[in-house]
Order: sequence, then C-alpha cells, then structure tokens
Amino acid sequence: MSDANLARALSRRSRMAKLKKRLSEGLFSGYGFLGYLFLYLPIIILVIFSFNDSRSTAQWAGFTTRWYVAMAKDHQIILSLWNSLFVAVVSTVISVIIGTLAALAMERYRFWGKLMMDAVLYLPIIIPDIAMAIMLLIFFDLSGVGFEPWKVHFFGVHLAVPYSVIIGHVAFNISFVAVVVRARLAQMDMVLEEAAQDLYADPWRTFWRVTFPMLLPGIVGGALLAFTLSMDDFVITFFTSGAGFNTLPVRVFSMIKKGVTPKINAVSTLMLLFSLVLVAISLILSRGGSEEGPSTPTL
Amino acid sequence: MSEAYAVELERVVKKFGEVVAVNGISLGVRDGEFFSLLGPSGCGKTTTLRLIAGFEMPTSGSVRIYGEEQGYLPPYQRPVNTVFQNYALFPHMTVAQNVAFGLEMKKVPKEEIKRRVAEALELVRLTGKENRRPKQLSGGQKQRVALARALVNRPKVLLLDEPLGALDLKLRKAMQSELKALQERVGITFIYVTHDQEEALVMSDRIAVMNEGNVLQVGTPEEIYEQPQNRFVADFIGKTNFIPGKVVMLSGEAADVRLEDGTVVAAARPEALGVSAGEQVVLSIRPEKIYIAPHGDKPLVPDADALTHAVGQLQKVFFVGVERRYIVALPDGTEVEVRVQNTDRGARRCRVGDRVSLYWRRAHARLLKE
Repeated sequence: MSDANLARALSRRSRMAKLKKRLSEGLFSGYGFLGYLFLYLPIIILVIFSFNDSRSTAQWAGFTTRWYVAMAKDHQIILSLWNSLFVAVVSTVISVIIGTLAALAMERYRFWGKLMMDAVLYLPIIIPDIAMAIMLLIFFDLSGVGFEPWKVHFFGVHLAVPYSVIIGHVAFNISFVAVVVRARLAQMDMVLEEAAQDLYADPWRTFWRVTFPMLLPGIVGGALLAFTLSMDDFVITFFTSGAGFNTLPVRVFSMIKKGVTPKINAVSTLMLLFSLVLVAISLILSRGGSEEGPSTPTL
Repeated sequence: MSEAYAVELERVVKKFGEVVAVNGISLGVRDGEFFSLLGPSGCGKTTTLRLIAGFEMPTSGSVRIYGEEQGYLPPYQRPVNTVFQNYALFPHMTVAQNVAFGLEMKKVPKEEIKRRVAEALELVRLTGKENRRPKQLSGGQKQRVALARALVNRPKVLLLDEPLGALDLKLRKAMQSELKALQERVGITFIYVTHDQEEALVMSDRIAVMNEGNVLQVGTPEEIYEQPQNRFVADFIGKTNFIPGKVVMLSGEAADVRLEDGTVVAAARPEALGVSAGEQVVLSIRPEKIYIAPHGDKPLVPDADALTHAVGQLQKVFFVGVERRYIVALPDGTEVEVRVQNTDRGARRCRVGDRVSLYWRRAHARLLKE
C-alpha cells in the first residue's frame, strides 16, 4: 500500500471513529435530555399556567399577570408569607448556632455519651416528617408548652407566631446544619488550629481567626439549607401550629381544598424562583470557598 | 544538671492509652545548637517534639525551656515556634497575613509588625510575594513562608517536624543547606525531626537516635556514625556489616573475637558496653572500612601488617561509579559488603568465586551486643 493510500485509509478510519463518537454522544445527551424533561416538565407547566388568562388549569387562554396581582392583593397569602419568613429566619439563626456547636463538639472533642449523641443527632433527618410532627404535637400538648403565640410587630406587620412552630423547625434544622458543618470540619486540617496555637493564639482567638473563617462556607451552606427546609415545611408546621396559624405552604394547602387556581401556580412559581436564588447563592459561596477560602473577618 | 540547656527533657513519658509513645527519655539541647531527633516512623520523635511545643502533655517527667518548667503550659504560652510537616499555612490569609499572625497575637504595634514581616520575608527570599495566597505558591515557597512565620516571632527555640519531607529530592538538598545556613545566621536553637539519616548527618550539630520511644544514642554526626553504641544505631545510620562471634579476650578498649570458623580477629569495645569473655557478640564494620585483596595479598596501606585478617569467598561485584561493592561470604555464611574506591588496583584483581582476604583496623570493628 502506498503512503497516500495508507493516509487515506487512516483518515477514513478516524472519520468513522469521530462519527461514532458523535453518535454515541448524541444518544447519551438525548437520554439526559429526556431525564431532565421528566423532572422539570411539571415545573415548566406550572410556571406557564401561572400566566394563563383563565381560571382553568387545563387549557391555555392567553398571557396574563393578573394572578400575580391577585396574589399580591390577597392579605391571607401575604400574611402567611411573612409568617414563613419569620419562622425561617428565627429557626435558621437558632439552629445554625446550636448545629455548629454540635458539629464542633462531635468532631473536635471526646466526651461521655458521644456515640449515642452521634446517632441521635441525625435522627430527625431519617425519621418520617409525620412521625416527628406527631411527636412534637404530643410533646407540646403534654409538656404544657402549648401553642402560645409570639406576638411581633415590625414595619406595620403584626404577626402571632406560635413558639411551638419555631421550636419544631429548630428541632429538625439542627441536624441538617450539623451534618453540613461537620462535613466541612472533617475536611479541615486540625493542624491549622495547632499552628494558630503555636503562634500564641488562645483557643478563643484560634476559633475566630482560623476555625471560623475556614468553617464559614459550611455554616452558610447549612444556614441556606435550613432556611429552605423551613420555608418549605408543611407537615411539622401543620401539626405544631395550633389553630389559625398559616405559613405559606399551609396556606396553599388550605387554598387547594377549595380547588386549584392559577393563583396557586403564581405562589408556587415565586417560591420556586426563591429556592433557585438560594441554591445559586449557596453554589457560588461554596465554589468561592473552595478556591479562595473566605476572607478573614475583622474583629 | 549544671550546663545551661535550651531545652531539657527529664524522664519524660508519654502514653496514649496503653501505647507508650515516649518511654522516659532524658535529653539536653544546648543553646544555639542544631539538634536532630532521628528515627524510623513510630519511634516517638514527633511526639517528643509535640511535647516540647505543648501540643501533648507528658504523662510524667519534666520539660524545661531555658530552665523554666513548662509543665502543662498550653502551646500559646511557650517561647517556641513550630514549622509543621505540611506547612500548615492558613489558606484564607495572604503570605504577609500568615507571617504577621504570631506578632498580631502578641499585640506587637502595627508599624513594628510591618517592619518585621518585611524582614522575615527578606530573610527567606520571598520579598514581593506578600499578597499571594498559599495556594499560589510552590512547595519550596510554602516551606519558606512557614519558616518566616515561625522565625518572625524570634522564638528561643524553633521546632521543625520533617519540614522537607514533602519536597522533591533536588529541592530537599537545596533546602538542607539553606536551612543550615539560616540557622547559623539567626543563631536560634533548632530541634529538627527527621527519619532521613543523611539529612540528619549533613545538618546537625548533634543527633539523638530514637527507636520505640527510647533515645538510643546522642552525639555528633561523626560519633553516631563511627561509634555506634548499639546494633540499632549502627544499622539505622548508613550501611554496616554485622559479623557474629564470641569474645575471647578483653583488655580495656581492645577485644579479640573468635568468628564462627575459628578465626580470631581484633575489635574495639565501646566504653559503655559491658561484656565479658565468652559472650556471644556481633562486630559492626562499615563497608568502606574493610580492605579486600586476593587471598594472601596484603592491602596497599602503610600499616598493612597491623591489620586484622579474615578469609572469605567473593560472591558478587557491583560497579556503582565512584566505587565497587564486593559481596564476600565468610566460611559461616555471613555476607560482608566491602566498598572500594575505584582507584584501588589491588582489589580489582579479585575475581568472583576466588578466595579473598579481608582486612580492618581494630578501631573500626565495633563490638556490639547481639
């Protein structure tokens, strides 16, 4: 075979290989596409029908934003949104503090009963929401904590949030925060803390100058997770709120009982958007954290 | 003790549960000395360093730094600084912030911190890299930041835990001499942990050889190499031959030993070694201290007649450039390695399979316990 022939044969073969590769890539990306479609089609439909100019959620009748306007004018929805935000913020702050301390204790110290603590700490993640909800309900009832509301007033908003709901949310959020923070702690080299102590930093300053800044991406990630879970929660809120208290998901649930309207689609779309923003923030933070490390907070 | 030591350990024991990491060691490190703790992994050298730094508290015994009992002082109250094995630079701080950390903790005025950080970075030749993050530095540069971060505090004693372990061979050699020069310039006492015997020999003023939580021998690199006190030290430092035999005569430092085949050879007894005639011992002879010649020939040295003599059969010869290595089997089967510079013509006449004569001086055959 002459050199030219050989070259031609080789190039034909490489062209075939390229074609094959492109084909299989196409096939796989096709599968991927179908998978995503399966996951996201309902969401896409939900979003589309929130702009549907009809009470029906089955037939398209033109574009409108009136359901968003109606939603904004619905005082019940707005109040339940405030309730949700308030419960989420307060329970996140509390569970971030307790969860971070728990993670530090589990990862850095040895103490009596640690093994049991270790198992129990993650229980709320594993047990079904409904079981936890009933547990909490019985606990609040029997213990006499009851469902007393915490009355808060700000920016002309008047809320009456039962302590029991906040406690309930803290109860499950601690576990999630602890898991996330602990994962970050486990990655962290303990020798860095020794280095700080070697450089005359007492334990307090070691924590704030070294441990905490390095832990920050984990803490923020845990906080975002807790916030999202709290905003999303229906079952535990429903069972621990007593009468007449609505967070957004609980409100939506009671609206659905009277039939699904595009207003619900509008609320859901906004919640979806909100979650997406949170996820984006947490992604950006964690990526920044792994490449650069957070900046030193000035004390 | 009367001598003023920089660091003094007295019967220090450290146990982790049932495991004894440090088994009652006593050591004195002199002021301004480059002192190495040398031993295989798990010998307790790093634990010893951590006991001095304050990361571990002794189970019993005393740790003193310039005469002051450290007792249970935490690391941040001790006048020592550490260079860690994998540098342990703070990844969320710049080079300058890393170096300034210790001074900030000591509440040194801002102006002085700035000046001293600049000085320290100049000392390790990293001027201009102040605002880099540790991630943007090479291994050698990280190493130098770790050094600057410790030295900037002007510690009385600098502790180094295998600081060159993570570097590649070439860089390690360069850093060895750089580190030694730096130590001489700043005049600070260095305590250096390493498992690399060559590194310890090259850099140290004195070495403590450790094994299984004990200090086996303390001495200058030459003492450690030429006068090992026991079998472990002789074996761990450099290459050595062990030839079994029985003591037949003892006279001060001199001893005669009968090898298994009946040959009586000359050996030297280390001062501290308590042996008696008739006892089973081993001779430790460095391969470069043995002369080899065709059977019956004398080596070409002036004192050839005063040398002790043994006979064996040449098994193998390896050519390794600067030298040849001869493997000789003694009648009892013990293999002896002999290293000969490539300039020795007499040795070259030995052929594999031949009977050969081995010669050494009395002082070079060290008597050691089995």
